[in-house]
Amino acid sequence: MDQRAILDHQFTVAAYAITWAIQLGYVAWLALKWRAQKRDAARNRPTVR
Amino acid sequence: MKKLAIGIYAAITVALLGWAFYQAMYVAPEEQTMHEVQRIFYYHVPSAMVAFLFFAISLAGSVAFLAFRRGRAEWAQAADAWALAGAEVGVVFCTVVLITGPIWGRRAWGIWWTWDARLTTTLVLWLIYVSYLLLRRFAAGPQVQTLAAVLGIFGALDVPIVYMSNRWWRTQHPAPVFGGGPESGIKDPAMLAAFGWNVVAWLAWGLLILALRYHVERQHQKLAAQEAQDALDA
Repeated sequence: MDQRAILDHQFTVAAYAITWAIQLGYVAWLALKWRAQKRDAARNRPTVR
Repeated sequence: MKKLAIGIYAAITVALLGWAFYQAMYVAPEEQTMHEVQRIFYYHVPSAMVAFLFFAISLAGSVAFLAFRRGRAEWAQAADAWALAGAEVGVVFCTVVLITGPIWGRRAWGIWWTWDARLTTTLVLWLIYVSYLLLRRFAAGPQVQTLAAVLGIFGALDVPIVYMSNRWWRTQHPAPVFGGGPESGIKDPAMLAAFGWNVVAWLAWGLLILALRYHVERQHQKLAAQEAQDALDA
């Protein structure tokens, strides 16, 4: 592999890795938000007397 | 039953993403002038397509919210949740576009960024929708949803400008892949297949997280309504 091909490969891998990091990071944030909301909903649910 | 259907859909989406990645990295042939770095195109362009679609969903939700907000409160709330979900997931995909584009540009052009019409209008689109999300996050009061809907409609006006920018103006950005004249289009069938699989896979993934974001927002609305009712009852 020459220097140009190595750099091309590194840039391509970087673009793919960043895409996945953004997408999975967002899903993780959304999952945490959902879990916190479920907890709040359970806390606010009126208790049966 | 609903959980099973969602699980099957999620499993199919993950399989599609894996298959699309394999097609893009290992099956599609290397492009003759740009070489391997051209493979960024298989993530960059589908992300842009999905972002545009979700901004259109946000536009539809914003218009529906303004139409229903006086007469049908429940429909208006659902429309508002679609508008927010479309804008937020659209921003995620638009962020991918704005990062993968310059990575490709650094190798292809030798620069990370240029103030060319396509790049600038895309950045403006991203800034408008980020401001939409900031408005929803930090503003308070009964008019927030209405203000956000108006901003969402104005933001969506930038989408056709972004799409047409490299047709209307002379730009450094590559010519349109489709609909750009007789020379446009992907000629190699393996490249076309890799591109098609990535469009399908990222669209499926986008719809999955869009639905999840919509669900979370609806829960949030119900929780907020319940808290408001409790405050009134107290």
